[in-house]
Amino acid sequence: MFVAPPHRPVADTGEPGGPPPGRRLDRHRDLTSLARLAERTRPVSSSQARVLPVAPPLGGLFPGGSLRRGTTIVVGGPDRGTHADRVADGSVSVALALLAAASAAGSWCALVGLAGLGAVAAHEFGIDLARLAVIPRPDAAWAEATALLIDGVDLVVLFPPFPPRHALARRLVARARERRSVLVVVPGRVGWPDPPDLRLSIGEARWEGAGTGEGYLARRWMTVTATGRRSAALPRHHQLWLPSAGGGMAGGSPVGPA
Amino acid sequence: MNRLVVVRCPDLLHEDEDGAALRSFARVVEAVEAYCPWVTTVRPGICSLPARGPARYFGGEGPLVQLVAEAASAVAAAEVGVADGLFAAVLAARGGVIVPAGGTADFLAPFPVGVLGQPELAELLDRLGIRTLGGFAALPEAHVLGRFGSDGAAGHRVAGGRSGELGDLRRPPAGRRTRGRGDTAAPTTAAEAGQSGFWGGVSDTDARAGRALAAVQVLLGPDGVVTAHLQGGRGPAQRSRFVTWSAREARPDTAPDGPWPGQIPPPAPSVVHPVPLRAELVDDDGKAVSVSARGLLTGTPYRLSVEEGPRSAVTAWAGPWPSDERWWSRSRRRSARLQVVTGPAAHLLLVERGRWWVEATYG
Repeated sequence: MFVAPPHRPVADTGEPGGPPPGRRLDRHRDLTSLARLAERTRPVSSSQARVLPVAPPLGGLFPGGSLRRGTTIVVGGPDRGTHADRVADGSVSVALALLAAASAAGSWCALVGLAGLGAVAAHEFGIDLARLAVIPRPDAAWAEATALLIDGVDLVVLFPPFPPRHALARRLVARARERRSVLVVVPGRVGWPDPPDLRLSIGEARWEGAGTGEGYLARRWMTVTATGRRSAALPRHHQLWLPSAGGGMAGGSPVGPA
Repeated sequence: MNRLVVVRCPDLLHEDEDGAALRSFARVVEAVEAYCPWVTTVRPGICSLPARGPARYFGGEGPLVQLVAEAASAVAAAEVGVADGLFAAVLAARGGVIVPAGGTADFLAPFPVGVLGQPELAELLDRLGIRTLGGFAALPEAHVLGRFGSDGAAGHRVAGGRSGELGDLRRPPAGRRTRGRGDTAAPTTAAEAGQSGFWGGVSDTDARAGRALAAVQVLLGPDGVVTAHLQGGRGPAQRSRFVTWSAREARPDTAPDGPWPGQIPPPAPSVVHPVPLRAELVDDDGKAVSVSARGLLTGTPYRLSVEEGPRSAVTAWAGPWPSDERWWSRSRRRSARLQVVTGPAAHLLLVERGRWWVEATYG
């Protein structure tokens, strides 16, 4: 089994930009490393791969277009509005959309602290419900449950029921890095004290399809900004249809196809 | 609903080996029959008789209760009460009260959910913060049927005073009480299922996940980990159900094909509230909007308030759609669904008995 160097994601995984600085490689070694790179970025979620696939409409949010194992991602909406507005801010959809491609490729996923999963929506996004475990009400044991899941599940989405202490958050992040799982945190109102590897912030959102009684909700256009550390330090602005017409997701501007 | 007098003999509720309790209870029934020939034995220790006729004859329910109590007490300790429907009447007997006609729902409201005799339902409701029959009854019926199944819906009708009796109070079906919390032995089952390759073939990934989930079940109890199954239905709460991890079924998830008239087309809401949130929908005069008997909105939605929060401006809406095919049936409470957009947010509302709820959110 491949053993990753602890606490240090391999720098060349996501960027096929060439050899790391300070190392001269001959052509043969270059090709070998390219082949290795291709193997790693192959959209198969075996535990050997360093990345997990992400659905193409979301790819632009991630360096290298895929989810790097061992990283923590925080998803949030605008920091305002009523409780009902926050539930509706799109972060649940973004979190579910992150799981879709990896789930379809065989990864196991878990949702911790989401008591009201809309399972039909999860299915429409492409999540395989047979490999989705839901821990609706972990209550005080949320951190312990999350830690256990990180040990065995590729993607763990955490909706912390209580504000986490900094040390606790850091322990979970370190555990995800060590076990090479992806931890997605949807902190909502309680917050998340540890700066994540990547933060996805939902900006604007607009619904189409409903009018004054006629029609049906058809799709939601939203902007998502990704900011992160290291290679992801530059903010990436992205536009999405989430959900898109008929369920699922699509990339595109507000004038894009349905 | 029948108005019933119930006689409850607390010492005779359990049969004893030599049958003495049953023989005493038979004498109680005989004594009560002196006032009314239509005495029904509900179960050992509890019998009922229709209240209306005898009450007229003996000058009211008060005097009737007095006479029945005296007759029964001559044989064994007895509690007597009157209410609409057997379920409420048994509770009325325990308190020795006469519940006024039509007052069943109010009488039942403060009782704990546990009196319905459905421990799994009570536990689930407790975790949702609902502890009394009144709280349970306040939930919209269309939502309850989807979330809590037909037993839950029967309990919901009883809790709201709309039905007099649970499925079978007389003879608890064999097997219902056999499943305790501890017997499920979930962790081992889940672990075994994981190792035997739940989905096509043994895989390292599946085994690893199975072990992690088993560990979480040890931590939180077997109900702590659930998995979703899709099923046919109209409302979002009906279209999927959660089963405990250890009880999951080995079948691929396919959305069952319709037709489900009234089902709202995709996309589906990503959040289906386990307990619907109270909502208020008003027109530009601040008047509550509702749905008419013909299934039309009575006003133009202008502002929406959720859980008594600030009122948000309604920017678009779609619907209403009747929530089930028995919309016109008189035995069924009318309910309808409405999609409401407030700026960037969108919710699926349910209206029933003139009250609005946020059943799901396009989160």
